[in-house]
Amino acid sequence: MDSITSAASVIAAGLAVGLGAIGPGIGQGTAAGSAVEGIARQPEADGKIRGTLLLSLAFMEALTIYGLVVALVLLFANPFAG
Amino acid sequence: MHGEGEDLPADPTTAVEAASQAAAAPSDDYLRLQRRLLLATLIVSAIAVLITALAFNLHIAGSLLVGALGGLLYLRLLARSVGKLGNGAKKVGKTQLLVPVVLVLASARLPQLELLPALLGFLLYKPALILQVLLDS
Repeated sequence: MDSITSAASVIAAGLAVGLGAIGPGIGQGTAAGSAVEGIARQPEADGKIRGTLLLSLAFMEALTIYGLVVALVLLFANPFAG
Repeated sequence: MHGEGEDLPADPTTAVEAASQAAAAPSDDYLRLQRRLLLATLIVSAIAVLITALAFNLHIAGSLLVGALGGLLYLRLLARSVGKLGNGAKKVGKTQLLVPVVLVLASARLPQLELLPALLGFLLYKPALILQVLLDS
């Protein structure tokens, strides 16, 4: 792999993880905070709130995982390496 | 018309203890949902591995199976960290993110593992989640 491809891959990997984690991070924080607030207000609805939180976190975290996978592929299984 | 505090238990300390006990253990609803999600993921993974073994070959099916097992582990870890939220933990844990990292690194290093089938296998938990949401609504 030439040096320009290496440098571009490393920068792209950093951007993929960094930018890809911003949205899901904000969303997860908001969702978890609201869920804890909801459980504190209505402890009897604990199971349903946790279940909904689990589903929404699983969907949100998938976006982070996409960025992570792209970054790891660029770093360890780079398709542009000659 | 009901008077204020009519439904409250006579002994407030008993109510506080009951509430804290309820908060300490994950409720039945949540445990049931966890079990249903894991079961749905297992069924979807088994079907996908079977179809892959028939349509492609056992090598690719093996990679898909490893990815699917990683997805199951990820979902289990995520469910555990959501279960702990509020009962001692203030934020959702990040340990489950190690699963895709290890999966990608393993498929980059080991010649027995193919990257794309392993990743697709890992993401098989999503159809199971979508199925669960559709069944619930």
